[in-house]
Amino acid sequence: MTYSVHIQQRGLMALFDLKGTESALLDWCTLPPFPSAPLTYTTQADQELMAIGPEHWILRAPLDQEEPLLMVLRPESALADLSIVHISDTLCFFEVTGPDVSEVMAVATPLDTHADIFPTKGATFSEIFSVKALIIRVDGGFHLGVDRSYAPMIADYLARTIAD
Amino acid sequence: MTTRRLAAGGRINRNKVVNFTFNGRAMTGFEGDTLASALMANGVDVTARSFKYHRPRGIVAAGIEEPSSYIELLGDDATGNQPATVVPLTEGLATKSVNCWPSVDFDCGAVNQLFSRLIPASFYYKTFKWPNWHFFEPLIRKAAGLAGPPPTPPVTGRFEARYWHCDVLVAGAGPAGLMAALSAARAGKRVMIADEACEAGGSLLSRQQAIGGQPAADWVAGVVAELAELDNVTHLQNATVWGYREHNLVLVNERRPDRPALLGRNWRVRAGQVMIATGAIERTLVFHNNDRPGVMLASAVQTYINRYGVLPGQRAVVFTNNSSAYEVAAQMRAAGIEVAAVVDSRSSVTGQESALVEGCEVLCTAQVTQAHGYKRVNAVTVRLASGQTRRIACDLVVMSGGWNPTSHLFSQSRGTLRYDGETCCFRPDKPAQPAVCIGAANGDFTLAEALSGGQKASGTQGGVVPNTSAELPYAIEPLWHVDDLPAGAKAFVDLLNDVTASDVHLALREGYRSVEHVKRYTTGGMALDQGKTGNVNIIGTIALKQGLPLDAVGTTTFRSPYVPVEFGAIGGVREGSVVLPYRHTPLTQWNIDQGCCMYESGARWRRPGYFPRAGESFQDTVNRESTCVRTGVGVYDGSPLGTFELKGSDCGRFLDLIYTNVFSTLKTGCGRYGLMLSDDGLILDDGVSFKLSEHRYLMSTSTGNADGVYQWMEKLLQTEYPQWDVKITNITSQWANATLCGPKAREVLAALDCDIDLAPEAFPFMTFRDCRVSGLPARIVRVSFTGELSFEINVAPRHLLTLWEKIMAAGAAYDIMPIGSEANHVLRVEKGFLSLGHEVDGTVDPYDLGMGWVMSQKKPDYLGKRSVALRRSAGETTRELVGIMSNDPNDMIIEGAPITPDGVRAPSEGVVTAYVWSVANNRSVGLALLDNGHARQVETVYVRMKEKVSPVTVTAPCFYDPDGARLRS
Repeated sequence: MTYSVHIQQRGLMALFDLKGTESALLDWCTLPPFPSAPLTYTTQADQELMAIGPEHWILRAPLDQEEPLLMVLRPESALADLSIVHISDTLCFFEVTGPDVSEVMAVATPLDTHADIFPTKGATFSEIFSVKALIIRVDGGFHLGVDRSYAPMIADYLARTIAD
Repeated sequence: MTTRRLAAGGRINRNKVVNFTFNGRAMTGFEGDTLASALMANGVDVTARSFKYHRPRGIVAAGIEEPSSYIELLGDDATGNQPATVVPLTEGLATKSVNCWPSVDFDCGAVNQLFSRLIPASFYYKTFKWPNWHFFEPLIRKAAGLAGPPPTPPVTGRFEARYWHCDVLVAGAGPAGLMAALSAARAGKRVMIADEACEAGGSLLSRQQAIGGQPAADWVAGVVAELAELDNVTHLQNATVWGYREHNLVLVNERRPDRPALLGRNWRVRAGQVMIATGAIERTLVFHNNDRPGVMLASAVQTYINRYGVLPGQRAVVFTNNSSAYEVAAQMRAAGIEVAAVVDSRSSVTGQESALVEGCEVLCTAQVTQAHGYKRVNAVTVRLASGQTRRIACDLVVMSGGWNPTSHLFSQSRGTLRYDGETCCFRPDKPAQPAVCIGAANGDFTLAEALSGGQKASGTQGGVVPNTSAELPYAIEPLWHVDDLPAGAKAFVDLLNDVTASDVHLALREGYRSVEHVKRYTTGGMALDQGKTGNVNIIGTIALKQGLPLDAVGTTTFRSPYVPVEFGAIGGVREGSVVLPYRHTPLTQWNIDQGCCMYESGARWRRPGYFPRAGESFQDTVNRESTCVRTGVGVYDGSPLGTFELKGSDCGRFLDLIYTNVFSTLKTGCGRYGLMLSDDGLILDDGVSFKLSEHRYLMSTSTGNADGVYQWMEKLLQTEYPQWDVKITNITSQWANATLCGPKAREVLAALDCDIDLAPEAFPFMTFRDCRVSGLPARIVRVSFTGELSFEINVAPRHLLTLWEKIMAAGAAYDIMPIGSEANHVLRVEKGFLSLGHEVDGTVDPYDLGMGWVMSQKKPDYLGKRSVALRRSAGETTRELVGIMSNDPNDMIIEGAPITPDGVRAPSEGVVTAYVWSVANNRSVGLALLDNGHARQVETVYVRMKEKVSPVTVTAPCFYDPDGARLRS
């Protein structure tokens, strides 16, 4: 391999797109603590709450929490000022970790992933190989969430990036 | 080794011999050589043939500014048009000269020199008009030019393109660049320093200077070592900054990166500040035969002696108009070159200058008017101050026409340049972006100025400026070309493009007064050169001829790339299977496994075109699939359709704003078809929206326009209606669907263990139901794109393959078939359903398509309403949607073919938007946009194609079930 990294396409995860004010969401359901800074996330009980825009969050959790979360979040009956949308199938995540992860990220995304700029617990939408992607900093690397339909192409790109 | 190699000295590793070939001849050099220095050491005089006249050319420069010795690399390194001066010598390197046949020493193309008076600048613009330019183009391109692309891609290795970010990008690792980088890095800034040479140091490696009391090379080594220790520094050598874009996006091409698999790497660097420390390029002097092998830039001669230990000649004449050549002359003499004379066009020289060449004849107010020799200079003619001429024998002419700051990047950043009469060059003036030129790139030509400029530009106290050795002050008097050039003199202002001073004069005589026009007329400063050596002499020549100051002439635009860059490096890993984006549905592999013909059909989705069976033609397959839907049941993958969830208390009025018809009155569970218009009243998109619950809607858009519509809606909400409570979520990939269509669709769905009442009255057209199908959670929507009874079964993508296989199993009893987009196209044409990109081509409004009914008369306003009214009130002829049927029912017409009056070659009156074989009508039918088409039904119009003209009858744009009874069934 040109770069020493480990790339793994992860399985489905429970995902929910949340829009509305913090107070309205807290009144509606129980969530992990809201991140104190934009483009970061908090973690609680394997659930991650990412602040990815003004009054816009993404809740991610292991797939086995999908049904319980649907019961808690009740997307279909949410109040008018809240938008809670079940999007588990929209994103496919790739985990990229290893000593050369910054080299691969430099090829893949225009996002500045330097630790001073995109810190621990950072999460933002940007681009991976010109495709809109949710980029999350995790221990030892990154999770790259891309539209499911692009997953084969992104896997292809990543393989090309590290190929000899 | 030949005698041209000095016994000692230089920065080459004499213990490491490197073997290489040039034009098939085996040679050797040393590690640390460039191809140019090695060729010179091997006694090679003629390295290439010139662009147009095929004149013999040799090595002129020592860096990227080399205008003559462009080389083609062969084998694993195959690439064209590399300056020999920047190609590192590597074991096994195979090279050859460009633009010559059969050899560089005997080139048939040299016959062009006999006809040079007939082929002046721009002759091809005037000459090759009949029958047309393209008739002659291949021959001319073969006769004039440089190397072509490699015949095959590299066998091994690949390219890479990457992004980078930094606080400070320093372009150039000469004294100013190193000082700036060191200062900024010590201050903790994220620094990238990129330099085009194999090792850092720039001019310090070629000159014999001291910094801080030590040899300059030692100072360089110390700085490089300190930079390497700092985590906040990215240091690239063999990496040229070749482009400067908006918002401080700077492009760097790194050759031979540190990864074995990589042939090259392109960096897209977003920098907080750019420090341009690219040094300066020495100008040539313009005299007759100034391109003969053996005529070289003074700085190059200095480099070959001091850095590579090579003597470019034995007996030299130095021709200069400035002080910098005297240092070179002194070092030439010290190295063993006999300096026959220093010819200085200035009226006098200083004592310091004279002292450097003590004992050598210095001819002031004198000019070299001509070089003699063909494949190697053997003498020059000098016009003395008295007006007399004198011939001096020599095998080397060392010229220095002064220095140009290498301001290409600054100019690319849209910074302005100003002419400085004291230094006779264009210097950076006002920046347009956070960029600053330092050192020689700023016109500060002394070492002390370069170091202090670098430190100052960093804006930090991160480095103390060391002392430097004494230098001559820079003094120059302009000489843009020698006086009284005879007509027809081959006095080149641009050696690369074979442009002479006479060519510039010709352009001016023909009225091309602007420097930009002269550039285009003569090609001077174009292409690979980009004005590195020629531009200012061209500007000076124009100024002299027009009697203008140089700043009144101005400069041309410096363009990227500053140096040739491989397309591969720009594209990076984007090649082969990923050269275009592609998207898959959960059924893509299933489709491929069935032998389906797949291709892109909008928004980069790879979709099934058709499912051929053994022995079937394309048309057989499409007919079979279409018939299946009309008479039985088919199923297709409708997953790519754009889908959005809208939520909020203002969703109703938002839909009323963007659709032409009313949506706010929809009942929960019901949907409506609508059109969206752009601001200019033309159709933007169509689709169906359903009301899921109070304040919650499901919108579908066309596949190809989904992203565009999404952006458009967000733009409206964020910029024009920020107070509206509408939240949009793209759920195109949250749902995937299998659409059952055909008269037997209901039976198949029932066989799938669907837990809802499927009767028409219980589940009517344009409604949806949430339910379970085969145990899977699903949302079934009753819409139809085929004109048949249809059920769009939406499930989570993770379930689609399971659902699909169950459908195929349950449908087997009904002879179900998967159908592709080709059959879908036939079915929608039969119904006259519009398709974006066909009937909706950005020129039509709803009335043109016969859809005036969709324009609400109840709503006070909606997007595009006023524009449509204005468009209609103008009373101008518009193209309207009609059906067409060829007079011969078997005639097939090409989609996109024009309809012209009587089929003659004339401005078209319409266009065929779709034409298919209709299984329902057992004949060909089509749709067209036709001027005033609605009023021309039953009229015969003519479709003009390349091979024939087909008469067609205009009909209503629907050929099947015009009342829609089947889709509502």
